[in-house]
Amino acid sequence: MFTDRFLKGRRGVQLGAEERAVLEGAISEVRTIDARATIVSAGDPLSNSTLLIDGFMCRYLDDREGMRQLVAVQVPGDFVDLHAYPLKTLDHDVATLTAATVAIVPHRALDGINATMPELTRKLWFSTLLDAAIHRAWLFRLGRLDAVGRVAHFLSETNARLLPVGLSDGSRFALGITQNDIAEICGITNVHANRVLRQLREEGLCVFRSSLVDILDVRGLARRGQFNPDYLYIDADMPPSSNESQAS
Amino acid sequence: MRSPPPIAGTQTRPGIASAEAGLVLLDGPDGIAVTMTAYAASETGKSLIEAAQRAEHWTEPEV
Repeated sequence: MFTDRFLKGRRGVQLGAEERAVLEGAISEVRTIDARATIVSAGDPLSNSTLLIDGFMCRYLDDREGMRQLVAVQVPGDFVDLHAYPLKTLDHDVATLTAATVAIVPHRALDGINATMPELTRKLWFSTLLDAAIHRAWLFRLGRLDAVGRVAHFLSETNARLLPVGLSDGSRFALGITQNDIAEICGITNVHANRVLRQLREEGLCVFRSSLVDILDVRGLARRGQFNPDYLYIDADMPPSSNESQAS
Repeated sequence: MRSPPPIAGTQTRPGIASAEAGLVLLDGPDGIAVTMTAYAASETGKSLIEAAQRAEHWTEPEV
């Protein structure tokens, strides 16, 4: 099913069979999209939202000189632009980082869910609030951490997000993004990102090679990035490796 | 000379600069992660030293 990863492993919001069937029925189309394709531009009028089935996507803003700042990374199972349902336009661009498969959900179908299924509506709302919680963590990351801390925090967070959807074994995962993407996520230059990744490797915390992430010391990396996964609202029943991510 | 009143968030540990690929990287204090050209780093360094000297000679205004 296309919605299998939506809210998977999140606390108190597992979809019931009827809810899942309704959400599956709300999908009008499934598309595959090439890597590095912009699918929504800021200000575009929108009548659909996008559920990411496979691949990685991002939300980003460009500065006056065209330098890109990623403001969110979306992983499989995320409703990338559900907030476009009430907003109808976005204030940022949305693009694929890797090749991606997405499900298109028309806003008129969401109208139907909103009118008839309050509990499913609450769960959809939960997913947008989860996005907001992640944004707060990104603000903390950029405002309070040095370069090594920012990268350590991002990699710890991504590991924790991919674990519930079965795309991390607790310490290793395919990220499919480049060192330059990491730079744009962490607000540093590519040269800085290169040095930081080398430092994390030399400190025995993490290896990033060919877009594959191998966290050698989950607790140590979390500690370096001051990462505490509470804001991800991950179910306590998830495998122990997810809980090892807590900073001490 | 009296020390200025403590302000929350003021860094007491210095940042660390290093050279990488012909550029200067400044790491820390917390929240700082900057890459600069050698010229920009040099001028920033001068400006920092001048500001530090002024701060060291700061005196509380009389009321």
